[in-house]
Amino acid sequence: MDQKYHVSSSPHVRSPLTTGAVMYDVILALLPAAVFGVWHFGVHALLIILMSVVSAVLTEFVFNALTGKGNTLRDGSAVLTGLLLALCLPPQVPLYIPYIGAVFAIAVVKGLFGGLGRNILNPALAARCFLLLSFGGPMTRYFADGVSGATPLAAIAAGRSADLVRILTGHAGGVIGCSAIALLLGGLYLLISGGITWQIPVATVAGFSAFMLLFGENMTPALLLAQIAGGGVLMAAFFMATDPVTSPVSGPGQLMFGACVGILSGLLRRFGSSADSVSYAVILANLATPVLDECIVPKPYAFRGREGRPEQPVKTWLPGTAGAIAAVVAVCAALAVGVSMLTGSVVEQRRLAENAETYRAVLPGAETFEVPDGVAEVLDALDGDIYGPYGNIRIDEVITAKDASGNVLGTVVSVTNPDGRDAPISLSVGILPDGTLNGIVYTDLNETPGIGMKVADASFTEQFKGVKADRLTVGGEIDAAAGATVSSEAVVDCVNAALDFWTAHVGA
Amino acid sequence: MLGKTFRGGVHPDECKHYAPHTVYEPRGELVYPLAQHIGKPATPLVRAGDRVLVGQKIAERDGYISSCIHSSVSGTVKTVERRATVMGAGECIVVESDGKYELYPGVGEAVDPDSLSPEQIIARVREAGVVGLGGAAFPTPVKLEPKDRDAIEYVILNGAECEPYITCDDDLMRQKAPEIVEGLRILLKIFPNAEGVILIEKNKPEAIAAMQKAIEGEEKMRIHVAPVKYPQGGERAVVKVVAGKDTKLSQLPADVGCLVDNVATVYAIYEAVCRSTPLFRRLVTVSGTAVRTPGNFLVRAGTSCAELLEAAGGLKEGAEAAKALSGGPMMGIAMASLDVPLQKSSGAIVLLAEDEAEQSETKLTECIRCGRCVHACPMGLSPLLMAEAALRGDLQRYEQKLYGLECISCGSCTWVCPAKRPLMQTFKDAKDAILSARRK
Repeated sequence: MDQKYHVSSSPHVRSPLTTGAVMYDVILALLPAAVFGVWHFGVHALLIILMSVVSAVLTEFVFNALTGKGNTLRDGSAVLTGLLLALCLPPQVPLYIPYIGAVFAIAVVKGLFGGLGRNILNPALAARCFLLLSFGGPMTRYFADGVSGATPLAAIAAGRSADLVRILTGHAGGVIGCSAIALLLGGLYLLISGGITWQIPVATVAGFSAFMLLFGENMTPALLLAQIAGGGVLMAAFFMATDPVTSPVSGPGQLMFGACVGILSGLLRRFGSSADSVSYAVILANLATPVLDECIVPKPYAFRGREGRPEQPVKTWLPGTAGAIAAVVAVCAALAVGVSMLTGSVVEQRRLAENAETYRAVLPGAETFEVPDGVAEVLDALDGDIYGPYGNIRIDEVITAKDASGNVLGTVVSVTNPDGRDAPISLSVGILPDGTLNGIVYTDLNETPGIGMKVADASFTEQFKGVKADRLTVGGEIDAAAGATVSSEAVVDCVNAALDFWTAHVGA
Repeated sequence: MLGKTFRGGVHPDECKHYAPHTVYEPRGELVYPLAQHIGKPATPLVRAGDRVLVGQKIAERDGYISSCIHSSVSGTVKTVERRATVMGAGECIVVESDGKYELYPGVGEAVDPDSLSPEQIIARVREAGVVGLGGAAFPTPVKLEPKDRDAIEYVILNGAECEPYITCDDDLMRQKAPEIVEGLRILLKIFPNAEGVILIEKNKPEAIAAMQKAIEGEEKMRIHVAPVKYPQGGERAVVKVVAGKDTKLSQLPADVGCLVDNVATVYAIYEAVCRSTPLFRRLVTVSGTAVRTPGNFLVRAGTSCAELLEAAGGLKEGAEAAKALSGGPMMGIAMASLDVPLQKSSGAIVLLAEDEAEQSETKLTECIRCGRCVHACPMGLSPLLMAEAALRGDLQRYEQKLYGLECISCGSCTWVCPAKRPLMQTFKDAKDAILSARRK
């Protein structure tokens, strides 16, 4: 026996595939969306992506060092988590947001649960939900074409039409990874290369579509398509829900899981108060994964079909599974409603605080804000419908502002007029308790510079301070801005609608 | 036309370097392990000092599931002692060859198979010590006597040869197609209601053509060309694609009307029945990344593996072999040394320059539940769940909920796993633990 060889169990050869390669394949698939995001939103989007990825990798490194775990950086999962997180952030968030998110994702959601392969929730999405709850303002402020504006979904929710083509390409705005076409491209690559299976994406989109067609309002195919393309459904279907660690293993389990994600997304979007239905839907479905995996263990091929195991002639497999699935869906739905109520109010508070600057502009000294009694019901009843005989104006929000010592300063009514000269106009009107106007401030104004934009001049807006009237008219109480008659009238319509609403539902 | 395939499976690099076989005649001593088949070890019939001839029976089978052993050379019995074997170590008969290859009386005599009854055919196969040459070495006569011979619908000749590197069955089919078909004809005499199906993977066009030519005019025979996919050559995969039936651990192919034999086994049946020649020679592939000139050799059983490697030109210039395998890289047995004798079932010696299994340990990560093992498993099992249960020690869950005993140890899951988990090894331990607990 002159030479000794290694002895080990077969197989003696291995495929070249490694965990790192699996992760980098997904990163490759995300690149189109990332590149589009940077190209469309600019260099700040790139900084967000870099911040998120670098923070994720550093956190993993530090966490491993502190907990005495080996170096796991080469598995690529930290890079992927960082990239996924960045792609579902708004493009203008301050850089501390991706930093905090990445640290939370890696250290809390993944590391504390045991690291790669052990986490219960999708780290990127759990971090996104955490950020939504903690930084409601920056996390829900979106910019399109450089101007603060609503995401396509918010536009749809407000009853405005959305340009489907712009949504599909990503030009309509949203998170950094908002280009439906780029996401589809990456998703198809993963499907074809075997990185993901078809079950989860298909079931997610199908579940969402089915729910929206059954329970959505005025659902048309085009609107449904806009809902799917413009609101993170594709991102979830291809990249979030398919995270293998937090989704079921079996084909049938994946179908159930995808359906859960889709239906919960629809449920939360239609009836929830939080803007962010899909993230919560995936996180909730993640919680159901262990149950689905336990209930649905496929039998070996030889045991499928009518031939059961001889010692178990009557199998209760199907009813048992169906019951478990029903239970899972029911629990998820209950959780979803609960979370949506909980997070809805928190997000609402955050948003109110974030809008404080706007309110103070029309009611100086305002400190605390609340929705006046009865107004929420009126707005619910309106449900985004046109208010009053002033054109196509909708009431966005009504709040009462108090100063630091609790004295009522007045009311802020925020309205949107889709019929500006060139673009929709959104503004907030400050109204004192006696009905006197205390000024206006634009929250969305995108008229043509030099023409319609003149309504932004102080000489025009100052006219709305100290006036008391039931109804203003251009040429009467208010002089049109020079060369901007149409825009001026659109603004006055807004103020009249706001006054009308105040008189009818708030004023003494 | 391409035949059906089975579910699951993987595509390792084929690495087949075909070369027509050359005859290798051994020097010095030949070693015959008494346990080189499934079942009870054979009982020696010779003692040190006895003279033996080529084809002479030197060990008798012990019981029904066992097989006799024949000398492959003429010479003198040196000793009967414990020697290193492919499986580790065991009792062996050692014969010193005299280099004359004097035949035992009657060996090589031509016999007309049509003059024999099925029982006589089976008796000749039994006396010739024929075992499954695909690797398992199950005594062939046992398979030829199922409960109901008339219920066999398919006699399947397995020429899939799905293991990387190995080309000996390819060579046999190219060179001995008429003999193999004659062997199949003999089997169809035993199983009158059966159709003969020769299953070959698509990557062996010459073998397919040769077999096609050899079955011309035969009414009850056809070729099934299977897509190239590992483990097509596994018995259950063969039954699945030909008969369309999934089988369980508790079932034999005969239970679903199939008899599966490797093409080399059927050639051995032909030799035993028509040429009165017991099984003492076979084709062996010598290949692998460390081998200088990969090729096939007609070798006498008992020849030392090290000697055969030398005959194949030894190792590549400057190369060192990390692993020596008896069989292919997917299911072969890793040998500690090449100073072991070739057995009847040894179809290949593969020397790998690098130990990928060892290297993959440096890439080991946690399971990310990607499910590739589930898709690769030809049995429809969930290897990642089985591994989790086995590592937790929950053998009840492993066996009952996850059907872990149905694992055929093909290694597809382990090959494909990106996290480089040692799945097959875990399953082997779990299955051993369950089966040994059952025996108690």
